[in-house]
Amino acid sequence: MSFRTPKGAVLDQGISAGDEWITVGRERIREVAAALKEQGFQSYVMMTCVDHLAAPVAHAAAERFELVYQLRNLEKHEEVRIRVFVPEADPVAPSLHDLFKPANWDERETWDLFGISFEGHPELTRILMPEDWVGHPLRRDHPVGGEPVDFSDDHERWQTAPRDA
Amino acid sequence: MGVEALLESLGENVLTTTVSRLIGWGRGNSVWPAQFGLACCAIEMMHAAGPTWDIGRFGSEAMRASPRQADLMIVAGRVSQKMAPVLRQIYDQMPEPKWVISMGACASTGGVFNNYAIVQGVDKLVPVDVYVPGCPPRPDDLVNGIMILQEKIKARGIAPRL
Amino acid sequence: MTETRAKEQIERDAERNRMSIQWTGEQGDFGGEILTVNFGPQHPSTHGVLRLIVDLDGEQIKRVKPVIGYLHTGIEKQMEALRYQQAVVVTDRYDYLSPLANNLAYALAVERLMGVEAPARAQALRVIMCELTRISSHLVWIGTSSLELGAMSMFMYALRERDQILDMNEEISGFRMHTSYIRPGGVMADATPRFWEMLQAFLAIMPSRVDEYEDLLTGNPIWRARTMGIGRLSAEEAIAAGATGPMLRGSGVAWDLRKDRPYSGYEKYDFEVAVEDACDCFARYLVRVKEMRESVKIIQQAMESIPEGPVNVDERKLLPPPREELETSMEAVIHHFKLFTEGYSPPPGDVYVAVESGRGENGCYLVSDGTHKPRRAHFRSASFVNLQAVELMALGGMVADLIAIIGTADTVLGDVDR
Repeated sequence: MSFRTPKGAVLDQGISAGDEWITVGRERIREVAAALKEQGFQSYVMMTCVDHLAAPVAHAAAERFELVYQLRNLEKHEEVRIRVFVPEADPVAPSLHDLFKPANWDERETWDLFGISFEGHPELTRILMPEDWVGHPLRRDHPVGGEPVDFSDDHERWQTAPRDA
Repeated sequence: MGVEALLESLGENVLTTTVSRLIGWGRGNSVWPAQFGLACCAIEMMHAAGPTWDIGRFGSEAMRASPRQADLMIVAGRVSQKMAPVLRQIYDQMPEPKWVISMGACASTGGVFNNYAIVQGVDKLVPVDVYVPGCPPRPDDLVNGIMILQEKIKARGIAPRL
Repeated sequence: MTETRAKEQIERDAERNRMSIQWTGEQGDFGGEILTVNFGPQHPSTHGVLRLIVDLDGEQIKRVKPVIGYLHTGIEKQMEALRYQQAVVVTDRYDYLSPLANNLAYALAVERLMGVEAPARAQALRVIMCELTRISSHLVWIGTSSLELGAMSMFMYALRERDQILDMNEEISGFRMHTSYIRPGGVMADATPRFWEMLQAFLAIMPSRVDEYEDLLTGNPIWRARTMGIGRLSAEEAIAAGATGPMLRGSGVAWDLRKDRPYSGYEKYDFEVAVEDACDCFARYLVRVKEMRESVKIIQQAMESIPEGPVNVDERKLLPPPREELETSMEAVIHHFKLFTEGYSPPPGDVYVAVESGRGENGCYLVSDGTHKPRRAHFRSASFVNLQAVELMALGGMVADLIAIIGTADTVLGDVDR
């Protein structure tokens, strides 16, 4: 890792399929993101969320929701992935919209599709679903929806939810 | 609608049948589509209006942006939940007589996307006259669909839509 | 903006969402009131179902608020319900003007997770098809942008070439647009001799066709008046907004994933990155025209240097064995059975792979939990991020400039909404 992070902020780190990643607690994500930005990671690539509900036991994650940020250093051609775990009972995380402008819409999308709210976001409203939609579609316990396929024995294949959810 | 009311009052006879066929011929050969390209099928619709297939030959040269000046709505692409009320509003804004071609698998039945976000077939929202399957249908398929619609229009003449 | 003012703005927007045109009651600088106008979602010039709520002071734009979601397809959710092989088909359909670039991002992500690499012939074929896709995407861009600014004949010229490219797509894969040609492990099938003939013929005429487009537009005083100085986006603003592709390179930043983070053998080819310094719509137009020419060069080199060999990696855990082997090898039968009933399961982990599509950085973030369906597939879409820069570029300009700016951003709404 060629960058420095604030003391004690990194909880875990590793390499996955050739990509470097670090895990940071959600109370320190703003600090770490600002520190990385100063060191040249000025380009914000993407942010998304992963729902680990009912993941296979051998690969269980720390919490249900995992926010994933990807930052890039254009001069040194390096990228880093930052993971932040957010518990199901308290799905709140700090917003990075003032540090990285594109985070604004990504956080709205995460709120819309996963239900994670971002403190400090100026306008956390639905962006992809209609405004009166109920539910957060990309959560694993929200069914895929659509029409049931008659006479198909694997109709349950069209659900990504756990069977007893 | 004035000419149809007048002809209805004259009743069914040779004169009205010929006039009906004439008007049907006129309407069929000058179908003006409203631009309602939503997704990938819209690109193939553009190709159908382009130099190789050229639906201008069939009278559809003027692809009107305003639905109030169009008589055919080609629903080209997938209709999402957010877009459904807009589609219905555009359909309602079109004056009679109007027709709908559902272009592509997504517009006809929901296509590849059997999920929460896509309306499973535009015929849940508007009455469809011709379904053109494909993902996306070739421009030839769309031209074929328009020709089938033209036959339908000419056959209907001035009969009111039931 | 303070908290309460932000909340008021949100409430007013929710109210305005229901109106199509409305006087706001605020005083403008030219002695009149500010008017809110709704563009779209059904609009000929918004390149798809984009809705813009624009506050106008006379002709001048005070505020642009894009409202998206009218083409939200639930692709990322759909991917979680499909096996890895089946999901390739769905990846074509989000950025529907460069379907092969989407395929490539997904295929590279799966290959990185599985720890395999496509053979050299497949990589060369991938490069050829991706560059053809880039040319076809820029042709649609140049055709529709000119159509919106009034140069209607340009649209017909662009579609003439694009039909040739789609015919080549059809020759190599059977489909004109959504080919699903690039798959994890390699490509769908080898190129036919007729494909090489068509490609030769296309490469022979394409440079002169691009000259034709430049004749029509580059020196045209109306085109220059409508694009020079319009839609300014400085280099710092572009990087801060996360813009990629011609939006970034038209502002002087020479960042191209094909050169800076090469994939699929791009490091072997000699081409220039199209960069312009003027930061306006005209600069982005020049960038895209140059990219078309450079793509022709890359395809020429790939075609001349393509090695013989298989077009799929020989990895039985990823791709089925050839049918002849099923008669003799029990192991082949087991692989075949597993792949066609359950599908393959990459080892658990996550990966982010980005390719340079016609629009910018098109990335696939794939998370595998060790089962035969993805846990999460997120697509980093270039248009989603580039669209946020439209507001920056349009403020202070006029309504007619807004059309030029939406055109120059080259957003595909399938990419934005997924």
